Amino acid sequence: MPDLDDELMERYRNGDENAFTLLVRRHQQPLVNFIARFINDRDNAEDLAQETFIRIFKAANRYKSEGAHFKTWMYHIAANLCKNELRNRARRDRYRVDNVVNTGNDSDGETEQIDLIGSAPADLAFQPEVALERKELQNTIQKAISELPEQYRLPLVLRDLQGLSYDEISEVLELRSGTTKSRINRARLMLKEKLKPFI
Amino acid sequence: MDCLQAEERFSAHLEDTLDYQTLQHFEGHLAACDVCRHEYARFQESVKAVQELPQIAPSPHFMATLQQRLATEQRESVSSKESGAIGWRQVLDVLLRPKWAFTGIMILILAAAGTYFYQDLRPTPVSLTPQVQQIEKSPGEPRIGLPPLRGNGSQFLQGSTISTPGQPTRQRYMLKQVSYTNASTSGGL
Repeated sequence: MPDLDDELMERYRNGDENAFTLLVRRHQQPLVNFIARFINDRDNAEDLAQETFIRIFKAANRYKSEGAHFKTWMYHIAANLCKNELRNRARRDRYRVDNVVNTGNDSDGETEQIDLIGSAPADLAFQPEVALERKELQNTIQKAISELPEQYRLPLVLRDLQGLSYDEISEVLELRSGTTKSRINRARLMLKEKLKPFI
Repeated sequence: MDCLQAEERFSAHLEDTLDYQTLQHFEGHLAACDVCRHEYARFQESVKAVQELPQIAPSPHFMATLQQRLATEQRESVSSKESGAIGWRQVLDVLLRPKWAFTGIMILILAAAGTYFYQDLRPTPVSLTPQVQQIEKSPGEPRIGLPPLRGNGSQFLQGSTISTPGQPTRQRYMLKQVSYTNASTSGGL
């Protein structure tokens, strides 16, 4: 029995524009969350999430529901876009560092600190001090995640923040199940060490 | 089970996917090892902290912006289909597909290898120095300050150290003549 996403894709292919809108509404929140957590940048996350949906829109006729699940296909596209974004960012940073070294002006080299957690809805049930402490811990965790090597960060985010199963993650990353499991365990161990002073 | 093996099974134990025998070994090790017990507790805490991070929601205008972008894409797609022209982006898309990129790289490698071997086999044109040209013009003529050459000169070439196996015979001969001439000149002076 096909799942709802497959059915919506089928409907969209048959000319139902609303089906695509419904697909976007179903997945926009997890997709933006995944991208923002993975690349540690909320503004670009929206842009990349939209780009992912545009790619899906363009490739709708090539989508085969028997081959892969919609969700893993979507994350696969998003992960590739994120990797490209990170590569471009690294290149830009390298260029900027070179310029700073050349000009000797280090005020331009400061990177903007993006408060990811600040953009999330505040939990009013907590006292301000508790909320502030919690927010600081969340920022620390996000920073620790962003410092993990890409090959460990990606499966960790998919597992612990997006809640995908090991099989789904293996499908997204095109890895064997054993490799996925070992990378997630390794990522969690690395994170434990990074959070040692705080937890 | 040692500490390293136990650490490799932290996630599996946390997610309750260990088989019975491994579970017995793991829990037996944790019961006996204070360090692993402590590390596993911290492992559980940090995983829980990550899982409790709040979801980042898209902005309210996410859908509106996406619909605008999709409309633009649709318009561009329709206009390119109507004009029938192939844009550079489509060409680039095709060329950047892994199959085509691989084929392109293979063609470049083959072309480079072909050029290399062709140049290696082709005789290299010899640029003659005035001294060599003189030798070539009058190989048998006696010269002032130098002993006359007897025979074809090959007896003087026995001890020559210049040897370039890749070059044609004529070029090798010329180089040896030059070597001989220089040696005689320096000896005579």
